[in-house]
Amino acid sequence: MSTETLNHSNTAAAGKYLTFELGRERYGVPALRVREIIRLCEITQVPQMPAHIKGVVNLRGKIIPVMDLRTRFQLGHIENNERTCIIVVEIALESGGKKLTGIIVDGVDEVANITADEIEPTPHFACGIETSTILGMAKRKDGVTSLLDIDRVVDGDALSAIAH
Amino acid sequence: MMNHCTASTVADLLSKFALELAFAAPGGDSGLLPMNSFLMKIEDLAKAPAVPAQIVAATGQARQWLDRVFETTATFDADALVRLGSWQAWMESAAEKWAQGSPVPELPASWEGAPAGQKSPASGNADEPELILHAEADRELLAEFINESQEHLQNIEQGVLVLEENPADADTLNSIFRAFHTFKGGAGFLNLTAIKDLAHELESLLDAARLHRLEVTSGIIDVILEGGDRLTEFVRHIQTRLAGGDASAPIRVPTLCLIARVKSLLSDPGAPVAFPAPRVVEAVETFSFAPAEPVPVGVAKVDAPAARPSTGAASGDSAAGFVKVDTHKLDSLIEIVGELVIAQSMVVQDAGVRDLVSQELTRNLAQLRRTTNDLQRTAMSLRMVPIRNTFQKMTRLVRDLAAKQQKQVRLVMNGEDTELDRTIVGELSDPLIHMIRNSVDHGIERPDARIARGKPAEGIVELSAFHQGGSIVIQIRDDGDGLNKERILAKAIENGLVKPDAALSDSEIFGLIFAAGFSTAEAITDISGRGVGMDVVRRNIENLRGKIEITSTPGEGTTFTISLPLTLAIIDGLIVGVGPERYIIPTLSVRESFRPTPEMLSTVYGRGEMVNVRGRLTPLLRLHRHFNIEARVANPTEGILVVVESGADRRCVMVDDLLGKQEVVIKSLGEQFKRNGALAGGAILGDGRVGLILNVDALVKLEEPDTELAA
Repeated sequence: MSTETLNHSNTAAAGKYLTFELGRERYGVPALRVREIIRLCEITQVPQMPAHIKGVVNLRGKIIPVMDLRTRFQLGHIENNERTCIIVVEIALESGGKKLTGIIVDGVDEVANITADEIEPTPHFACGIETSTILGMAKRKDGVTSLLDIDRVVDGDALSAIAH
Repeated sequence: MMNHCTASTVADLLSKFALELAFAAPGGDSGLLPMNSFLMKIEDLAKAPAVPAQIVAATGQARQWLDRVFETTATFDADALVRLGSWQAWMESAAEKWAQGSPVPELPASWEGAPAGQKSPASGNADEPELILHAEADRELLAEFINESQEHLQNIEQGVLVLEENPADADTLNSIFRAFHTFKGGAGFLNLTAIKDLAHELESLLDAARLHRLEVTSGIIDVILEGGDRLTEFVRHIQTRLAGGDASAPIRVPTLCLIARVKSLLSDPGAPVAFPAPRVVEAVETFSFAPAEPVPVGVAKVDAPAARPSTGAASGDSAAGFVKVDTHKLDSLIEIVGELVIAQSMVVQDAGVRDLVSQELTRNLAQLRRTTNDLQRTAMSLRMVPIRNTFQKMTRLVRDLAAKQQKQVRLVMNGEDTELDRTIVGELSDPLIHMIRNSVDHGIERPDARIARGKPAEGIVELSAFHQGGSIVIQIRDDGDGLNKERILAKAIENGLVKPDAALSDSEIFGLIFAAGFSTAEAITDISGRGVGMDVVRRNIENLRGKIEITSTPGEGTTFTISLPLTLAIIDGLIVGVGPERYIIPTLSVRESFRPTPEMLSTVYGRGEMVNVRGRLTPLLRLHRHFNIEARVANPTEGILVVVESGADRRCVMVDDLLGKQEVVIKSLGEQFKRNGALAGGAILGDGRVGLILNVDALVKLEEPDTELAA
């Protein structure tokens, strides 16, 4: 049910989040959206796609697209290591359907229970900084975790419109 | 002898008359003129000396009725159609008696005074029953009813086609009877009175026919066919109402006139009554036939109306051997089996497993492979249905078209049992209708023109299906006029489709009729229409990953050959390597592949790099450049050129090397990659990685981006 709320409001709800690392930052996605976490496998490149779309992989017979979250957030490239992995998330499409997408992250942390009083709305940065993909910030004892609106992260069109 | 001859001509005219009658509707004048001309011919024949008085009288009667129609509104009303229907049926049986030399029955008493009209001659529509749905309460039941009806309607239509060949076919009469009966039951249960009433009358008619109380004439066949049409109409209306139309709006389909025709056929005293009552009762109860005639009772017969694979169907029209399954379940089963096959091949190819030296393991793996292959074959066959249904729809089409155009056309069908993927069968119907219509409309000439050319008056359209290699071939051949090469070429040059100096082969010229908008309104008359919608036909076929080719000999006819994949789920693919990536090219689109010599390559100013493939300049597409991948070879003479074609266009696709040929299960890449027209989908290769399937159509049509650069 919390996924429903997430779709329709612009603030993060309390609940379980899967947190992961990307560069020096920590991010969280609603745990209910996470289907599984797989090792980084060989990705088939799809030509003529935006740079952050790495390609497609075979998830037990299903072909799913894989996105590099580093490229997506313009964080620069690092070599993949044994912590690098793919989080398979379920995305709600605007058309009403659902699809699976893999996102490449530097490493998975934990499933954290984030309470309502830990969450603060996204601060407004100077113009040009994209905050629409972030639903809120969770202040936790070891730092700040950005809670992602995963549908917006994956929806390429909204993104490229902002990036340019 | 003379009598026999005249009688059979009359019978022939009567059946044509019946056909027109079947399509006539109250309030319209469709069929009025042809009916009149047939009647005039019968009148002429009736002037001969030996014609029985009853037939002469009956003909006069029909003339009176028809004249009344002309004199009043020149449109039919329900009464007139009923009367003409009963007249036709009576005449038919009378003509038969006459031909056999038996005494001709007296005219039915009910005809007396009929022209005066007992009913008001108002338009027949006013008192047609209305049908109001309780869509909310009965939604599911109605959906189920529609679902089941489709099958019955199909049985009826197919049955009628069988009856036309063999009017006494007991199995078919039974199966149509049962279809109407079930219809009646369902409609009664849902309180669809108008449907129930119609089905009830038709059921009685069939009942009489199957109990030999009524002889099946072409008039009766037409009534059955029309009954089926009306029921189809009802079902369609209900379907649209359920699909979100205004559910409370009444459904009105004219049935009264048809019901009246059925009643008059049933009460017609001219019809022979063969069986005494007690035996009839017995026959009803046991659902079998009194063995008075050499009807093959109980002979298991692979039944025409069965729309399912015939495996294990002892008696095709008993539904006992079939299970209805949701297509989604079926599709997911097939998908899972596909995954199993891939998993199996991954295990077999696994390096660790290969290193093990164990005879038992080898044996077990071989057993596993056999079982998975069997499983896959069986799963695939679940999707396969015979093409019979689609073909049989064409019989009706040809029959209607030929009658409308007063041509004589016979449809010959071969290989109706050939099985195809059900998705393909569904999609094939439209293009086939289009092509058959073209063949009958424009291919087959009128009887007089045919005779003038020394051909038999009756034209033949041959529809065949057969396996060839890994694909299914469907052929439509007519023995008509053939395509006019010069005119097509002239038209194409005029339209700018072809350069005036282009040297095209015959099949390339014929292929031009598939070009979009080729045949326009101002096209030369005798090929106009040949191109209308042909681009749609080709697109439909290509969407099914099929190909279509034409051969034609002037004056002798035209053949359309469609080759289709066995199933949409699997393609035969050529796997090619470009840099680190592997791509799959559907083998159906591959013409050849080779390593070029330097002298085959040239750069044509303004057209980019070209390859001389056996005298034909074909544009070169460097796949690595197009896809922006680092290739292992840069020089075409070190790589491989794959010649792909789509329609009449070809292109040489340059790849690093050929990696093999494999059957692959096609998977969708998802929304995100739809924009990428160069890809048709993905497939999981033997090592578990994804290979991308190239969309040859898009590659061939691609404007070479580096034309300027190369020039």
